[in-house]
Amino acid sequence: MPYQFDEILETIRMTETENFDIRTVTLGISLRDCVDRNIEVTKQKIFEKIIRYGKNHVKFAKEIEAQYGISIANKRVAVTPISIPFDVFRRDDFVEIAKTLDKAAEEIGIDFIAGFSALVQKGFTNGELELIKSIPFALSETKRVCSSVNVASTKAGINMDAINLMSEVIKSLAEKTKDNGSIGCAKLVTYCNIPEDNPFVAGAFHGISEPEVVINVGISGPGVVLDAIKEAGKVDLNTLAEVIKKIIFKITRAGELIGKSVAQKHNIPFGIVDISLAPTPAKGDSIADILVAMGVEDVGAPGTTAALAMLNDSVKKAGLMASTSVGGLSGAFIPVSEDEGMIKAVERGNLSLEKLEAMTCVCSVGLDMVAVPGDTPATTLAGIIADECAIGVINDKATAVRIIPVHGKKVGDKVEYGGLLGSAPIMDVRKISSENFVLRGGRIPAPTRSLTN
Amino acid sequence: MKLTEDEIRKLTLEAIKELGDKATPDLVKSVVEKSIENVSFQNTNIKQPDTSSGRIILTSFGLNSSGIIARITTKLSEFQCDIRDLSQKIMDEFYTMIMVIDITNSPNDLREIQEEMKNLAAEMKVKIYIQHEDVFRYMHRI
Repeated sequence: MPYQFDEILETIRMTETENFDIRTVTLGISLRDCVDRNIEVTKQKIFEKIIRYGKNHVKFAKEIEAQYGISIANKRVAVTPISIPFDVFRRDDFVEIAKTLDKAAEEIGIDFIAGFSALVQKGFTNGELELIKSIPFALSETKRVCSSVNVASTKAGINMDAINLMSEVIKSLAEKTKDNGSIGCAKLVTYCNIPEDNPFVAGAFHGISEPEVVINVGISGPGVVLDAIKEAGKVDLNTLAEVIKKIIFKITRAGELIGKSVAQKHNIPFGIVDISLAPTPAKGDSIADILVAMGVEDVGAPGTTAALAMLNDSVKKAGLMASTSVGGLSGAFIPVSEDEGMIKAVERGNLSLEKLEAMTCVCSVGLDMVAVPGDTPATTLAGIIADECAIGVINDKATAVRIIPVHGKKVGDKVEYGGLLGSAPIMDVRKISSENFVLRGGRIPAPTRSLTN
Repeated sequence: MKLTEDEIRKLTLEAIKELGDKATPDLVKSVVEKSIENVSFQNTNIKQPDTSSGRIILTSFGLNSSGIIARITTKLSEFQCDIRDLSQKIMDEFYTMIMVIDITNSPNDLREIQEEMKNLAAEMKVKIYIQHEDVFRYMHRI
């Protein structure tokens, strides 16, 4: 027998009982050749191009799924940041473009399309400003479109004007989608050091240095890691790191195989594997549970950040060995609403926004799917975003904020989003003001770390 | 990626046929140029070698009873599959069985075999998983 009994059973156990899946296979499509002075022609070109490359996306992914017996949770599309090729347009035109993206996504049978984005860490072009202003309309009038705006980078510093604008956009979007728990904000990410090849929606886009089309893959398997840690029992941390690395190695290999196979079916290049541990609301598919299995009583206990740092680092090390094309965010995600253990930790009062912020220093991505009271002032949101950006800029890493000021809700309430978005307990935000700091506006200069030449 | 003269001639003839009465030298030229671009795009981008072996792994487990392997192998022979290796373990009343199967010469594709085996598994009240060998090779062999 070319394989050991245990090896085969291990793979089957991972896929059947431990929720190991390929979280997303994302088809990146460049829209840079779709621009025309006439908005109607532009819309037509965008629609046709997405259909041309994307029409078989779901079908191919399903075929690969059956072939290898590993489920692919999401099939998605990322496009060129819309503000770049379509800089000439105004706010209402951008809303029209968002609707076109929505229609194209529906046509090819996917649930989310990402890339309604702008990169404004150093300043705005006219088109970028218009795109950002269109976000509340675009995301509230569409179902499938996701947006991201990069407001800071290690090389450029932190654009506080952009952060202030984004916090107003978030507030406005929350108001416009108030009938659905302000769900619009779940489709909008404010970024620092945004990666260009991240396959994970909502923050995905098809970077400007990417080829015409590309397949990127995001893997996930918190359940697999959790069971491996439980099985390892009471071992010291070196041994535990080894256990995590071994298991991540295997799932990254599977991710690379799936990515290459889907790309081969499409007859387009394969880009990267994003080795992230992304939780889902399913039982046992939780990062919080891993941290508890590592030994902290609950997420938020002293030691949580250290445990998470070790987990994140082990994931990266194993992934690097397993794949020659690691990219994207690659680390552990700690969204609140999408992780059963995190939700419970918040409800028990063990996890605060401040501890969560500390945890984002050592993992990808940042404050993700965090619900806060609807009356949180825009300037406080700006302060929270600025803090996350500072972490990203100084540590030269991607950080992001996907925060939902849920209209009409208070601390102690909970919003149900359903599906992968899960349910979000409203977290407490400090009442002291950041207003006089953030409203100074301007830009926090790039740190000395940016001068690497 | 350079195309041979024959290949370019073939593309030109195809273009003329496609354009029919509308064919002018300029139009034909632009259509041919476009096809050449497409062909070279496809050729240059795909460097991933197809190393897959045509072998699949069938894993079955459940409550042991007589005739399980007989029924599975009968089905496989209907598909003209070649069993390369078989191994099983029995613990009390449970069994686990793993087969390495070559489906290169089978007229049926993987999906059809999976579908039939799914029905068989439901009939016998056991579990049958069929996966391409590559996934095990990628995960457990460097």
